Amino acid sequence: MIQNNQIASAYSPPFRIVAKYFIAAIISFVIFNLLLTLNYEDISGHHFQPKILSVTHIATLGFITMIIFGAMFQLVPVVLEVKLFSTILAEVQFWIFSLGIILLVYKFWHFGSALSFTLPAVLLNTAMLIFSVNIIASMVKVKKWNLTGTYLASSIFWLLTTAVAGLLLSINLDTPFIKLNHLQYLKLHVITAFVGWVGMVVMGVSFKLIPMFTLSHDYKLNLANWAVALINIGLLGVNWIMHYPDTQFYNVIFGSVIFAGMLLYLIQISVIFRKRIRKKLDVGLKFTAISLFILGITTLLNFSFLFFNYENVINLTLVYGILFLVGFASTLIVGQMYKIVPFLVWYHKYSSKVGIEKVPMLKDMFNEKLAEYHLYLMISGLVISIISLSFQLKVLLLFGFSILLISSIIFSFNMIKIFRS
Amino acid sequence: MTSKITKEKITDILRTVIDPEIGINIVDLGLVYDINISENNIDITMTLTTPGCPMHGSITNWVKRIIEMTIPDISVNVNLVWEPKWTPDKMSEEAKLQLGM
Repeated sequence: MIQNNQIASAYSPPFRIVAKYFIAAIISFVIFNLLLTLNYEDISGHHFQPKILSVTHIATLGFITMIIFGAMFQLVPVVLEVKLFSTILAEVQFWIFSLGIILLVYKFWHFGSALSFTLPAVLLNTAMLIFSVNIIASMVKVKKWNLTGTYLASSIFWLLTTAVAGLLLSINLDTPFIKLNHLQYLKLHVITAFVGWVGMVVMGVSFKLIPMFTLSHDYKLNLANWAVALINIGLLGVNWIMHYPDTQFYNVIFGSVIFAGMLLYLIQISVIFRKRIRKKLDVGLKFTAISLFILGITTLLNFSFLFFNYENVINLTLVYGILFLVGFASTLIVGQMYKIVPFLVWYHKYSSKVGIEKVPMLKDMFNEKLAEYHLYLMISGLVISIISLSFQLKVLLLFGFSILLISSIIFSFNMIKIFRS
Repeated sequence: MTSKITKEKITDILRTVIDPEIGINIVDLGLVYDINISENNIDITMTLTTPGCPMHGSITNWVKRIIEMTIPDISVNVNLVWEPKWTPDKMSEEAKLQLGM
């Protein structure tokens, strides 16, 4: 028998670090839903519109990236059995990152204000660089590398690419210098952010967490190996050709490579789900399963975008944006938070009491019934919003966004309950 | 005093250690591979359902503490192993039923 007495939990960073990122993300999530609701009338025109960009960055930076940072500080040490390089850097990064988000969101909202775009972009790049250094310095000490590590290392490369592209776009907004079309670089910024950063993290972590939660066994990860290779090749190709004009042909080739990689991932994850031993999905896993189904839809939409000019189709970019940000990313994150946050709080508050006094089960730390209502409301809000955006039904859009707002408040109520339990 | 300690007694104590995520005790989950009782010392060999499970520090401490608290003057050593790998076949019938297998 191979002995392994290493205690992975001993590698975990202090609770206050991860909690800070998670709480900031929950606040951003509610603000994101609130701003969607308050500005439903603006969210129907062209996507390259300041207020939409402001709202998008609350979601992508304040909610999604914030939560990924917090989760990675927790998961990288546990999954790769290594200590986080520096908790001080994680702390410093939090404040620089938060300030960067507030300033960027403010600047997009008040487009004509005196504040430059470059300042928030520099702050955000600094925070992301600190994050990358911290994680890479932790990763170099890893003794046993695994597939999740490959996905996470790739995600960091694409995070930095996204950040640099964002910085160049910001400088260009202050002092135009990009010779090619600004929107072409914007496209690069979005693809690397969605597929390279968010996608790679989600995929890598899912191979670890989903089998752990569903007790899936007896499957191979061959497709996952192919998926990471194809997606990286496709993204490198897309990043290369975006610097040249007239790239339609190569765009189709590299876009198709990414599509093939995503498809392999989706097949792989459905195999893991099918091989699960816990047949009944709890609320966290219901969110997860639905979000992965929506990822399938957005993947197909992305593939179709290679063959026609979607920017001319009314609101398709917005429909895609809402599907990705709310349907896939937010649904997945809130689902995983129903699994991870109770564990974090349990570990922080009760692990020293196990065996001495009665400790709660994780599912007892929040109101599961309320979480189920949250799920139904979030999905109905999403469907109504997508229909309203597709057919330009403004009043119905307000209704859809209001349902999403209510669902986000229920979610934060449940999260507060977990933190206070 | 160790003469009174039996594997059955230790197994019964370990049934009170419940995986807080799954809601089933570690004995019925088939996580306990071996219990070795010698003079004033108990060696428990156990695994977890997934390598790298973040619970593992808590659960091994829990096992150690619950036995040491129930049986005074005993020292418990918990060996966490990943070979042989845990499989669902190791679960008791009740656990399988509870998970809907």
